[in-house]
Amino acid sequence: MTAVEAGNDDIRRIEAEALPTRFARGWHCLGLSEKFKDGEPHTVNAFGQKLVVFQSGDGRINVLDAYCRHMGGDLSQGTIKGDEIACPFHDWRWGGDGRCKKIPYSRRVPLRARTAAWTTMDQDGLLFVWNDPEGNPPPPEVTIPRIEGATRDDWTDWVWTETIVNTNCREVVDNVVDMAHFFYVHYSFPTYFKNIFEGHVATQIMKGTGRQDTRPPAKDGEPRLLGNDSAASYHGPSFMIDDLTYHYDTMDINSVLINAHYPIDATSFVLHSGIIVQRTDKLSGPAADEMARKMSSFILKGFDQDVQIWKNKARIDNPLLCEEDGPVYQLRRWYEQFYVDVADVRPEMVERFEFELDTTRPVEAWKKEVEENLARKAAELSASTGRPA
Amino acid sequence: MTIRPDNRLLDAPMQPLTCRRCGAGVEVRKASWHQTSVQWNADAAGTCLERRTAGPGIFPGCAALRDSIVQAALDGEIAVPEES
Ligand code: FES
Ligand SMILES: [Fe+2]
Repeated sequence: MTAVEAGNDDIRRIEAEALPTRFARGWHCLGLSEKFKDGEPHTVNAFGQKLVVFQSGDGRINVLDAYCRHMGGDLSQGTIKGDEIACPFHDWRWGGDGRCKKIPYSRRVPLRARTAAWTTMDQDGLLFVWNDPEGNPPPPEVTIPRIEGATRDDWTDWVWTETIVNTNCREVVDNVVDMAHFFYVHYSFPTYFKNIFEGHVATQIMKGTGRQDTRPPAKDGEPRLLGNDSAASYHGPSFMIDDLTYHYDTMDINSVLINAHYPIDATSFVLHSGIIVQRTDKLSGPAADEMARKMSSFILKGFDQDVQIWKNKARIDNPLLCEEDGPVYQLRRWYEQFYVDVADVRPEMVERFEFELDTTRPVEAWKKEVEENLARKAAELSASTGRPA
Repeated sequence: MTIRPDNRLLDAPMQPLTCRRCGAGVEVRKASWHQTSVQWNADAAGTCLERRTAGPGIFPGCAALRDSIVQAALDGEIAVPEES
């Protein structure tokens, strides 16, 4: 039973300030870098702008404002010529540093022929772009850590997905602390849950157990899922690396899951998932690739479950929390550091905060619910077959 | 955006606590025996032995501080609400 506090009978109002007008400072992943290495310029709508992504002849991937400073042509509809992107309108040539290098029909390039350029990083098969409203270069201490398995032969290649979501990206970040939704929205069963925020990193440590009421039971000879261990960290505002192990009765499966996004504008973002799986004696050759694909489609289903909620929910700055909820306010305090100038980052935004949740009550309640669901299913089955289950 | 206070802290705020091993001063709150919030600051991070000698990567937490919190809860220095 839940104890109900008596007392204040005022109606609680949901409050939400206007959406932020700037975009988070930090590294954002634009997806598999390979996709941008096809010799064509690519259009990317991000940070409230249109960008052009192109690989220059020297192999570097560059990101510029897509609109040509000459007459506003769209560079992402242009052509790569050597180390430059050529505008489709009058063929002005722009280098990856944002400077106009050449105007084929003119004797000289005018002064001020410089456009916005973003710093990029091509690492572990992924393309990252540094966004900073103040225009500073990325400090080395906030770089994205290397993902060892991404370049190793005993791991699969990335299985990558991209989805457009029509809401503000704070919703996806909130998931870091939202233990209960994993049961109700994603049909998983958390048994341990802890958050740690420190500096630019926000971590979620979670253990879960298998849930029999929402998964078909393992067939004979199939490995049975016992539980999972996950340590997931956002490195900056948008890129989460999750070391995720699934425990089966016959083996462990080690994987690295990426959950990343970049804002298109204040009310939409592109949500990415990526996964690699370690090959082992028990999970070798195509079986590992198949497992990575299966896990990827499982994650996509999870995104879909979130999206159904996000589509219909209200933005809320003053969530009303019970003691079995995670640290939503402290997470948002951490997240705020990416939306203010570096000089305005306050100590409490980056100081270490730990929150270990007491899962005793949730686990009791959820066990009961799972048992009830199983009993109901069994009753339905025996009613439909006329035989006792 | 204004950073709002956690509604749970209005009724039961964080309480100061000193680690019995290293003397690091942090703020602690317990909503139950198994729930713990710990707020560090730069001083505490600089004082804590385990924190200072930890390698790169995620620092899961200081064992000595954890023991100090348990002891403080047992001694009644850190409030732990009755189970209902
Ligand atoms: S608008 Fe780009 S070259 Fe003229
Ligand atoms: Fe979710």
